[in-house]
Amino acid sequence: MADEKKLSRNETIKEESRFLRGSIAEGLHRAETGALSEDDTQLTKFHGIYQQDDRDLRAERGRKKMEKAFSFMARLRIPGGTLTPAQWLALDDIAQERANGTIRLTTRQTVQFHGIIKTNLRPAIAAINRAMLDTVAACGDVNRNVIATSNPYERATHGAVVALARAVSLALLPKSRAYHEIWIGDELVAGGEEEDEPIYGRTYLPRKFKIAITVPPHNDVDVFAHDLGFIAIVEDGRIAGYNVTAGGGMGMTHGEPDTFPRTGDVLGFCAPDQVIAVAEQVVTTQRDFGDRADRKHARLKYTIERMGVDGFRAELERRLGFALAPARPFHLEGNGDRYGWREGDDGLAHYTLFVENGRIADTGTRRLLSGLRAIAGVHAGTFVLTCNQNLTIAQVAPDRRPAIDALLAEYGLDGDVTALRRHAMACVALPTCGLALAESERYLPSLVTELDAVMARLGLAEDAITLRMTGCPNGCARPYLAEIGLVGRGPGTYNLYLGAAFDGSRLNKLYMKDVSDAAIVAALTPLLEEYARDRESGERFGDFVIRRGHVQATVGGNRFHADLAPGLAA
Amino acid sequence: MASLPMLPDTAPFAAEQIAVLNKVMVATTPEQRSWLSGFLAGYQAATAAPQASPAAPPATRQPLSILFATESGNSEALAAKARLVATRLGFAARAIDMADATPEVMAKASNLLVIASTWGEGDPPQRAIDFYTGLMADAAPRFDGVRYAVLALGDRAYANFCETGRRFDERLAALGGARIADRIECDVDYETRAKAWIDGTLGTLQALLAEAADADPAEPGADVIHVDFARGPAEQAWTRSRPFEAEITERINLNSSRSTAETWHVELSLAGSGITYEPGDALGFVPTNDPALVDEVLTAAGLAGDATLHAALADRFDVTTLTRLQIAEFGRMTGDAALIELGADAARAAAFIEGRQVIDLLAAAPHRLTPEQLTGLLRPLPPRLYSIASSLRAVPEEAHLLIGAVRFETHGRARKGVASADVAERRRVGETMKVYLKPNSHFRLPADPATPIVMIGPGTGIAPFRAFVQDRDATGAAGRSWLFFGNRQYTHDFLYQLEWQDFLARGALSRLDVAFSRDQREKVYVQHRLWEQRRDLYAWMEDGAVVYVCGDANAMAKDVHATLARVIADQASVDAEAAQAYLDRMRRAGRYLRDVY
Repeated sequence: MADEKKLSRNETIKEESRFLRGSIAEGLHRAETGALSEDDTQLTKFHGIYQQDDRDLRAERGRKKMEKAFSFMARLRIPGGTLTPAQWLALDDIAQERANGTIRLTTRQTVQFHGIIKTNLRPAIAAINRAMLDTVAACGDVNRNVIATSNPYERATHGAVVALARAVSLALLPKSRAYHEIWIGDELVAGGEEEDEPIYGRTYLPRKFKIAITVPPHNDVDVFAHDLGFIAIVEDGRIAGYNVTAGGGMGMTHGEPDTFPRTGDVLGFCAPDQVIAVAEQVVTTQRDFGDRADRKHARLKYTIERMGVDGFRAELERRLGFALAPARPFHLEGNGDRYGWREGDDGLAHYTLFVENGRIADTGTRRLLSGLRAIAGVHAGTFVLTCNQNLTIAQVAPDRRPAIDALLAEYGLDGDVTALRRHAMACVALPTCGLALAESERYLPSLVTELDAVMARLGLAEDAITLRMTGCPNGCARPYLAEIGLVGRGPGTYNLYLGAAFDGSRLNKLYMKDVSDAAIVAALTPLLEEYARDRESGERFGDFVIRRGHVQATVGGNRFHADLAPGLAA
Repeated sequence: MASLPMLPDTAPFAAEQIAVLNKVMVATTPEQRSWLSGFLAGYQAATAAPQASPAAPPATRQPLSILFATESGNSEALAAKARLVATRLGFAARAIDMADATPEVMAKASNLLVIASTWGEGDPPQRAIDFYTGLMADAAPRFDGVRYAVLALGDRAYANFCETGRRFDERLAALGGARIADRIECDVDYETRAKAWIDGTLGTLQALLAEAADADPAEPGADVIHVDFARGPAEQAWTRSRPFEAEITERINLNSSRSTAETWHVELSLAGSGITYEPGDALGFVPTNDPALVDEVLTAAGLAGDATLHAALADRFDVTTLTRLQIAEFGRMTGDAALIELGADAARAAAFIEGRQVIDLLAAAPHRLTPEQLTGLLRPLPPRLYSIASSLRAVPEEAHLLIGAVRFETHGRARKGVASADVAERRRVGETMKVYLKPNSHFRLPADPATPIVMIGPGTGIAPFRAFVQDRDATGAAGRSWLFFGNRQYTHDFLYQLEWQDFLARGALSRLDVAFSRDQREKVYVQHRLWEQRRDLYAWMEDGAVVYVCGDANAMAKDVHATLARVIADQASVDAEAAQAYLDRMRRAGRYLRDVY
């Protein structure tokens, strides 16, 4: 176990941080640099804040006698992803005044601001707090934002899972006052105040921890991609309880085959009032058994690989003091969103707006930022963020629909978007993400345009295929659960993965290595031609490429790198 | 070619001599020609009659006070030249900075030469304010019998040209002074006229004194004249008319490619020039005009395609600044009644000049001009002064400049700063810049290296402070130092950021506060930081810190001054008047120094 090996540096940083304080407060006052100290940048993640720099500018900075163009990304904690119109307006203000003028919706149902310079960080966080929101634990080695299916058209179950997401998030929130001292309060409390983290302890978790809640048949949350998942079992219109999944996770490292994406295992079933206890004890099990020496093997998925699913369940049940019930049957259909107007079961309507790669900005005639600001000004319901980086204008009374429609038209938001584009996702990548090896958000839209032309020629324009791209292998856009996955390897170079299940239950498989961006369309075109010609009725692209032997099906995370075509060894 | 000064074939020289002389003449400026004609006349006079030797029998050595009010150093330089001339003529001459003078003391002078520049919109230079205020006060002492004359410096591009000199002249007369020569008002091309006036005025004074001595040979207080024909203190080897061609060894736009601003860091090699400067000094840069603008001017004057004239305009004439005199002159030379009328109406002319340049005048009233008319209309191209941003103790034989590119649009035309656009757009590493040293003895590091310093320099105002901190770093000075810097955006406009980080780490800079105005909705400037830090700032002032301000004269320096007064009032619990007095005391003690432009 971990204690035989040297602890990772982050463990020391956490240990010595005085419950996540470090020297962040002092660093914020240093005028000569737009950065924080290296150790503090690890700690700010626990406060939802990532230090980044504009990589487009790196080459010129030193010559111009300036340090890197540092700025910060602040990620909100919005369990369940619902916002009031007033909160949306506040976020819009913050984007304009303190960040780069755009809002980024994420794959984990929350909002990120990019480009906040250090001097604007405290004002930005304070403004977020005034909007009754926060960024606590949105990143870092803790439980992060708890996501839940965006199905406001099923009022009762949606209400229940959003409430559950909030309760789980609250139960697992760090108890340290550091966040409020540093970002909200005017007075900084000097060290020495006795504090405790009853769930996490002084060094928190070995690595990040993610929880998702889904209501079948929707799997918009990609429940198997998270450390811990709850699949609602609805019986007679009520949630009878949840199947518990554990051990999912996307990240891996190129060239290290003992790192791999993994879909979670279904452990069993628990009652609604047992969910928080299950969540807490999965977290403490990971706290105690997770690898604290190698951060690349620190996620829960590796702990479960090491302990075995049965071993892990036994430890969990020992801690819980009760056994999980046998898992109940469920059926999932897809991990996408349903766009446009949908009637709810309570007579209200809900409009899901496609937001390409989650970027809320005014681009050309499609003025998302201004349009949503205008809609927030007249909207009486809520906004629901989806895990596909989209946004639902929820709970619209029938007589309010024309007003919303008029604004959607006025701001150019009502146009048709192809099925492929609706099912495409990209992470942020360049220029702000420090991990990116290749472009993603800035490149995917043009790639989709090229592929759309092929799809249209083949009569596939109406066919949904999930397509996801990330700039690095860490998997923010969950590329390993896409029927077509593209993962950055270097500038203009991607690995191409195929064969995931449309419903998010099966990982894909490496199909081609190091494909240049110019060659991606050529690589996919023969497969799409074959699909158009030879598919069976209702057959999904991900299933088709397996049936035709282009790739082997990935039956579990530890087989992700196995069963490759000759010459493709990772 | 025929349009330029030329000796006729009939001149009493051999043909090849005429060719050589013409070759020289063609390349001369009006000043050079004027000087040459004066020189030849003088040479004629001096060599024709052997009787006029100045080394005559011993006579009394007359005192002369040369009082100057300087902002950029021009008055001071002229005062030094006047002193040299006066000394050679046998005066016991002193040059006195108004900052170090009082009206009471000066009222006791016998002979007084005042050289005063006007600053901004008709104000006296900052260093001269106390003297000026005292002289204008009701309680000012009488100047009965004081022989005086005033040389006024100004810039016709500004309103109230030579206002300060005019007011000194009138006030001295009102207080009983005896004006010995009419006041001269000099524009930016002052050198030739000023020198002629100084020679003439000192000659007049000498003659007056000689008459007085004849009448009363025993005038008290007179010394024996020691005529000294030896050279005075060495003048600066390189001047605006004979600048040093310094090689550009580095040239970097310090602003990010995302910035709305462009500020060029230029490193010049002074190798072989012998130029030695101190932190705080400036370099004069003799720029070249934008060739495209010269083309436009030539085209507007109907002279397109004249290559010789193009070269002359590019190198020697001010093709941007527009003055009322030029409107009137342009009207006279073309007989354009509308222009004559405009030039005669001060208010309308001022309104026309606002935001306009020479090209607008030529375009507004198209007339074909001869080359002589065009060059006659234009003023000489003035050099531009830039505070040196380096210390020789850190970078021997180099001078670094920080030049903000000036670009704006008025009346539908894109405009550029002459010198800044020259550097920003046309100069390249390996090429040269014509420079000369412009000492700024009033803006120097404290003599005692342990004295704390506070430097307030937003924008390009940071230049001399880089020199200060480099110098203190190189000499290991023990004094604390505190820099206030401001600009538009932290990420894109933090000039010399890595160097400040390094100086902080090494202890050469003790403290840094920054204000970036466009990073948030509310504008934040250096004065806001001064106010936030008022407790420590006042403590530094009480500890004897010298406070330096460099940069924009109009908004920044005024706001900083007002804020410093507020800081003092707040921290010392005194009223505004006492706070102002505190700053006045600091200024008089040389502890509140400004280099603003």
